[in-house]
Amino acid sequence: MAATDAKKQTKKRKAAPEDESPLPSAIPQNVGLEMLSDDEGTDGEDGSDGEVDEFPEIDVRSDTEDEDEVDEEGEDSDEDEEEQEEEDDEDESEEDTDDDLHIFPRARTIVSNITGQPKRVYPPIEPDYDSDSSTEDSPNRVGNIPMHWYDDLPHVGYDINGKKVLRPARGDELDKFLETVEDPSSWTTAFDKKAQMDKPLTPQELDIIRRLQENEIPDAQYNPYEPTVEWFTGKGKEEVMPLSAAPEPKRRWVPSKWEKQKVMKIVRAIRQGRILPSKPKTASTQLQFYSVWNEEPSNQPAPLPAPKPRLPTHAESYNPPEEYLPTEEERKQWEETDKEDRERDFLPQKYSALRLVPAYSQFIQERFSRQLDLYLAPRIQRVKLRIDPDSLIPKLPSPNSLRPFPVYRALQAAHEGHRVRSASVSPDGAWVVSGDESGVVRLWEVIVGKEVKRWTFKGKVGAVEWCPRTDVNFFVVGVEEHLHFLIPPNLSAATLTATQSLLSPATLPPQPATPSPIKWVSVSAAASSSDAPILTVNLPSSSGLPKQLVWHRKGDYLATVSSNETQGGVWMHQLSRRHSQAPFKKIKGSVQLVLFHPSKPHFFVATQRYVRLYNLAEQKLLKTLSPGIRWISSMDVHPSGDHLIVGGYDRKLCWFDLELSDKPYKILRYHSRALRSVHFHPTFPLFASSSDDGSIQIFHARVYNDLMTNPLIVPLKILRGHQVKDGLGVLAVRWVLRQPWLVSAGADGAVAVWCS
Amino acid sequence: METVPALATRQQSIISSKTCPIRLFGSGGILRGTLAEWCAEKGIGEEETLEIEYFESVMPPQRMSTLPHEDWVSSISCQIAGYFLTACYDGNIRAFDYSQKLLQTIPTHNAPVSSICIIPTPSAPSESHLIASASHDLTARITRLTLTPDSSTASPPQTLASLHLHTAPLSSISANSSGTHVLTSSWDGLIGVWNTSIPTIDEVPLDDTQAGAERKRRRKMGDGDDAPRPRRKAPAAVLKSHTARVSKVVFGRAEQDKTAYSCGFDSTVRVWDVENEICTNTITASSKPFLDLALSPSGQSALAASTDRTVSQYDLRASTSSAITPSVATLAHPATPSCIAVSPDSSSEHQLITGAYDGVVRLWDLRSIKSAVTSFKAWEGKDVGKKVLSVDWARGGRRRR
Repeated sequence: MAATDAKKQTKKRKAAPEDESPLPSAIPQNVGLEMLSDDEGTDGEDGSDGEVDEFPEIDVRSDTEDEDEVDEEGEDSDEDEEEQEEEDDEDESEEDTDDDLHIFPRARTIVSNITGQPKRVYPPIEPDYDSDSSTEDSPNRVGNIPMHWYDDLPHVGYDINGKKVLRPARGDELDKFLETVEDPSSWTTAFDKKAQMDKPLTPQELDIIRRLQENEIPDAQYNPYEPTVEWFTGKGKEEVMPLSAAPEPKRRWVPSKWEKQKVMKIVRAIRQGRILPSKPKTASTQLQFYSVWNEEPSNQPAPLPAPKPRLPTHAESYNPPEEYLPTEEERKQWEETDKEDRERDFLPQKYSALRLVPAYSQFIQERFSRQLDLYLAPRIQRVKLRIDPDSLIPKLPSPNSLRPFPVYRALQAAHEGHRVRSASVSPDGAWVVSGDESGVVRLWEVIVGKEVKRWTFKGKVGAVEWCPRTDVNFFVVGVEEHLHFLIPPNLSAATLTATQSLLSPATLPPQPATPSPIKWVSVSAAASSSDAPILTVNLPSSSGLPKQLVWHRKGDYLATVSSNETQGGVWMHQLSRRHSQAPFKKIKGSVQLVLFHPSKPHFFVATQRYVRLYNLAEQKLLKTLSPGIRWISSMDVHPSGDHLIVGGYDRKLCWFDLELSDKPYKILRYHSRALRSVHFHPTFPLFASSSDDGSIQIFHARVYNDLMTNPLIVPLKILRGHQVKDGLGVLAVRWVLRQPWLVSAGADGAVAVWCS
Repeated sequence: METVPALATRQQSIISSKTCPIRLFGSGGILRGTLAEWCAEKGIGEEETLEIEYFESVMPPQRMSTLPHEDWVSSISCQIAGYFLTACYDGNIRAFDYSQKLLQTIPTHNAPVSSICIIPTPSAPSESHLIASASHDLTARITRLTLTPDSSTASPPQTLASLHLHTAPLSSISANSSGTHVLTSSWDGLIGVWNTSIPTIDEVPLDDTQAGAERKRRRKMGDGDDAPRPRRKAPAAVLKSHTARVSKVVFGRAEQDKTAYSCGFDSTVRVWDVENEICTNTITASSKPFLDLALSPSGQSALAASTDRTVSQYDLRASTSSAITPSVATLAHPATPSCIAVSPDSSSEHQLITGAYDGVVRLWDLRSIKSAVTSFKAWEGKDVGKKVLSVDWARGGRRRR
């Protein structure tokens, strides 16, 4: 009985045209019946009333030429509905007593108005949730197509008869707005795409919307709280034979300790705050909305497609042409070769029909190897560095555009077999004086190379230097513990007189208050000749060989660096006062080189690793330059005084911009052996470096006046020609003033002039 | 020190030989291979007409002798028929005859003599010659020299005058064809113009140091030497425009006697009007310090040797509108060319010889400037480092250090 009852109810729900009909049936059994019945009841009434009222009107409006029968039938249907409602009511009242089951609503037999014959009339099928003709009332029968296809046409589709359904008139935005103001029901309308007009939502639809909003089940007819159907409990429904004879276990009715433990664990966690029962809603938990299209298009390349398998050819055909079929030898050869050596992994075979083709035995193997191919295929596009290697080379002007610079050896003067440690060019650029280790100092013409005078001293000649003054003409030779001042021959009378009066004045200047260990000895001007030194400065004994002589630009001060560093090898000599002094009481490290700044009262002192710049006027240290060279061998300052080049025994040449930094602006490492000498050209933008590898390198070094432009250094030429002797190459390079000529002195005893 | 003047006969030896070798000229230079090769190289068809000139080939001169000197020979002259004059770095001027016999050694200077020239004296007897010499001792001297085949009867040479102007060593000296004027050039950038008349009194007073040295030397020489002291002579004019060392100055050829040409380390060749003491034309090259200058026989172009290993020909008639005057022709040398001599006779007016620091003397033809017509080493292979410092070409004479 109960089963049939339930069945009937479901049937009824299916068949019922109105939604409220099954709910009242459940009222007596439901607990919260009042609420439900109230809601449903009112809704149902509204809905039914609306439905009933509206349908005939629509029909009348849309089909004015329709036959009367339809109207009558519509009226009939209305009547039927009313009748059915009555029946439903009866059902409700009758409750379970209703015993006949109908799949369809019951048909009624009426007498037709037209024929006069009795006919069976069924109530019309209402479009319902489970009805498959829910779209029947739509006059537009274009189907589920994009309606924008009809955008440019006057109609929006076709009705069931194939007639055009014309596009309803639509107001503009203003009309819409006015509608929202004037028509209270406009907010419950929705745009119907098919009809291309606004249709008011039915109460059912509104109800579905409301239910969705309230998180209820959208189907109003679905009852989640249906009464339990007691199949086996209750009077008369007990199982006669229970499934198991075992008594009911205790755990069925004793509270579970295990569950209690679990619950207590959670409770404890909540108490201790380890679990937050209601997590505060944070921004991150809320839904984040973002516009998909606002993102920048990724500049990553699209993932590489997998490599495509080779397309089959005629040979793979089941019925290949004869020429593809292998001959016997080919077949044998194919079978004999190893699998990985085969040209193709199959043999073409011919079948007269596709149905005769057997299953492909290699299928699994082939799929597997294909998977391997895909797995091992490179999926990352390797970006090749498409850089022209020439573009990495800095743009330097061509050496040809930087002429003149020395390119060849014009002449050579020999110091027979003795190392020439130093050479110096006279300030007028006509004479060269060179001194070798056997104590010979030679004076020769720059361009002819003819030696005109020769002096011989005891011991090595460490340095020779011409006085930069032009009104007097003499040079200094540094031999062991002595400085000899020599006058070259063939001077004009005025120059000779001036030189003699400078080097051996008639009245000696007063002795300074602090006596110096250095004695100045000169012969009288009348007795002097160019054969012997006119003035000799005796450096302190055991000071060793003066390895460097530097003149101040004005030619009054002369600084010497002696090779014996224990005595503090730096001495500064003043010609006008005939006085020598040691500028430094104590210097850290052994002094390698000193230099006068060309324009300021600054003094460069190079120790093994650092170059220090002192201000002589204020007697303080200005700067410490660290070239990063392990042992400094040579140093020269640019004629402008803002740049310094430092050469080292570890093959490096550092260019310092004194305004810029204490670190080198550029490090040139072009020599293969230790650098020995560097020199800036006084007038041309050139400098030269010489090395123990026997080569001289010429650089173009243009220095700009504005501080923003970096100096331009261009390697121009490598001059080779000096022999390397005992591991020593070119020991000194000097430029000839006013000409782009270079004088180089080598360990092979040759002094060469390089011309442009 | 060994010095190697070589003497060669040029025309005579060639003409005396029965077959006269000739050189053929095409449009582009001297034909060195066969004509077919030349045509193939130039892309000239076989049917085309070729214009070919010929000139008498110049055989490499045979070295006849070397004249040993104690020091470097800086200058050589063979303007006096039958004799060579050499100037040496030891300060002496030496005279040789064609049999390479040393006739006289004249201790003119006590510093290296850099240049000598003969002052033509049409009126004087043929044995007597005036020689002008320039030296590193800042003076030039005029010396009278009597050359006779028999050296024993010759009167001792007499230094007549010393020319005092320069404050730096002199580089060259040259006299005009009529023998009235002498030009000196110096490292101080000045060119001195002197007349050759010998003054009776010193025009320049002795300065102290000079006087002292003079006195000392005279004392050393002894009182018995009654040679008159050379008169100290002042310049007639000073040509001042060069900014660096003037390396060579020459007078124009006979008809342009009043024009002087000079070249210097300031990369200029200058043309001077000697009478008015002005520079009339300046040819500026770019960074070519010139070492030597020679005028072509026609006098219309100048050949200048520079330290960039070229000998450049400049058209003297060209205007000096542009900053840098392009050279007409450039003869490239493998070493620094130190001296130029042009052919004195008009039959070979396109020819010149140059001496270079590599010890090779080259004969060039200006119509074919790609390479030298012929070249020969001045002396044998072992003396590699020797340089040719001076060449002279007068009916076939060449000298070098």
